[in-house]
Amino acid sequence: MSTNRWLATGNYFTSYQDEQRIFFTHLDRTILSLFLFLLFAWPMLVTLSNKYMLVLDNILIAMVAIIGLNIVTGFAGLISIGHAAFVGIGAYTLASFSRTLGDSHVIITHAWPLMIVLSGLMGAVFGAIVGLPAMRLKHLYLAIATLSFQMIFSWTINFLEFFNQGQTIPISRVYWFTGKLGRDEHYLFWYYVLLVVVVLSGFMVRNLLRTRFGRCLSAVRDNDRAADAMGMHPGLTKVYAFGLAGFFAGVAGALHAYVYRGVGFESFTLHHSITYLAMAIVGGLGTLSGSFWGPTAIIALELQVETLVEHASQILPSDWNLATALKPFSFGLVIVLFLMFEPRGIANWWRIVRSYTKLWPFRY
Amino acid sequence: MSYFFQLVVSGIVVGSIYALAALGFVLIYKSSKVLNIAHGQIIAAGAFIAYALTGMVGIPIYISFFLSMVITFFLAMSVERIFLRRLIGEPIISVIMVTIGLMSILDGLIFLTPFGSVNFSFPRFLPRTLISFGGVSISWTQLVGVIVTAVMIIGFSWFFKKSTVGISMRAVSDDQFASMSVGISVPRVFGLAWATAGLSAAAAGGIIGNITGLNFETLQAFGITVFPVVILGGLDSILGAVVAGIIMGIIQQFASGYLDGNWGLNGTAEVLPYIILLIILLFKPHGLFGIHEIERV
Repeated sequence: MSTNRWLATGNYFTSYQDEQRIFFTHLDRTILSLFLFLLFAWPMLVTLSNKYMLVLDNILIAMVAIIGLNIVTGFAGLISIGHAAFVGIGAYTLASFSRTLGDSHVIITHAWPLMIVLSGLMGAVFGAIVGLPAMRLKHLYLAIATLSFQMIFSWTINFLEFFNQGQTIPISRVYWFTGKLGRDEHYLFWYYVLLVVVVLSGFMVRNLLRTRFGRCLSAVRDNDRAADAMGMHPGLTKVYAFGLAGFFAGVAGALHAYVYRGVGFESFTLHHSITYLAMAIVGGLGTLSGSFWGPTAIIALELQVETLVEHASQILPSDWNLATALKPFSFGLVIVLFLMFEPRGIANWWRIVRSYTKLWPFRY
Repeated sequence: MSYFFQLVVSGIVVGSIYALAALGFVLIYKSSKVLNIAHGQIIAAGAFIAYALTGMVGIPIYISFFLSMVITFFLAMSVERIFLRRLIGEPIISVIMVTIGLMSILDGLIFLTPFGSVNFSFPRFLPRTLISFGGVSISWTQLVGVIVTAVMIIGFSWFFKKSTVGISMRAVSDDQFASMSVGISVPRVFGLAWATAGLSAAAAGGIIGNITGLNFETLQAFGITVFPVVILGGLDSILGAVVAGIIMGIIQQFASGYLDGNWGLNGTAEVLPYIILLIILLFKPHGLFGIHEIERV
């Protein structure tokens, strides 16, 4: 831990341990700690309205989900067109507790960390089941398997009386040490919880990539035959990847349910799956920092589109369905443009900036 | 028993539309190994163009169907030219994700027009009477739809087997480098594959629009239902698409005819294809007629 990566002209690793470090320099660690401290501290100084707190919560929920999607699509190279369904599995695990025990049963309001983990595990189980064809098949077919899982999920939720046929199932506010959360603290409280979850899962994934399994993932993505020859099991690796992605998705789903204090079918449709894919692509597939950039960028874009629609609808005739039109259009455009011009996503801009500072004042 | 035959007949009607929709999908997959997830949107676009030409511009309906096929032909070709041509040589995963993006873009564009939210229906140009024999009845629209589908599929099969362009498309799907070395322009073949897929999609859209009315949700749902069909038939087989389309149509009709209403089930026709799809993927992933080229990993 000596050289400054912002200024050093090359890698000066002398051992593999060096290369596998989470923080390369003291500066890196200091910056990250400061940044995290700021993220935790700012609500003490500034108060945002509930609307914007909800936006922040949404971004953080999406980050958890995208960390999962990045494992399966970015690191393992398998398209998942059903990620919203896995998120939905998490949310509906919570919802089924709420349906059987009542929406303010002790286990939901007091043991919420347990419920979140449980929803994650449920997501993992379903992820592994959907990933099962991976034992025999390559990515094209897996994309179709996840798509069909999305359709089956939608149908099941809309059909079963137990799930209120897709109507909202309420989940009551949770308890903290200070008692039941008030209306005003609700979003702030979940902001902190989500922040902790995001930081934890970020470190989890960063560590995961240093293990044998993490290296298996990218080996299988890059060349599965070579990976097989090196003694890895590509099929099992993919099933694990789906399981892990399902875990993060499930956690995100439970958090979504708690933040919105209810579970409804309309948050887990095919369109949301596509939005998740857009987030992963825009952030940068196969990079950890991409999982944080993508949701931020897409949700910011969504806000901008909403404001644009508000302004435009005052000028344009009212039968123009701008609100429903512009969202899919802008998401699709962003996906396509990023894939065509910057397939490595926003995370790559970060890398470019860093290499620029390294070389400055020289061009190369 | 006549109920059974009625279900079979309407299954064949629905199935032949699936076959036509799947045809376009298979055409693209065969030549460029791309899963076109935006196919349902192209089908919808074809149907809406036909309606706009006849209902809003006032062109006679037969000509407007023909024109919509021509327009969609060029539309799909330009989609390939603008979005997918640059991605030749990129990993197939990013090409598929581009089609996911395309699906979203086309969704947005269609929602901009009135077709996204309002339902229209084609003016009736066929007799309203039902043709019935032996207790089984079929409407003229359905009958004509099946006939058009059959003609189109036979035409496409002929095109692939005999015509020079068709043979070059098959060559490209078999081996891109080898076909380049004998002077086939691979990008042009990709463009043509998309264009013919667009043409068949417009035909499918016209037929669906005549049978069920012009509803965007219904039309674009065909693009998703095509997946079980092509997986059952084998991703790269036209014959497979036809057979699997009809099988899937009959299964759906049986599901809604015999399962719905019993044991508290409802709407099983929507979900059964996907369950079948997952089962096929687990046990017979190359489908009924697909080439056994799947590598076990």
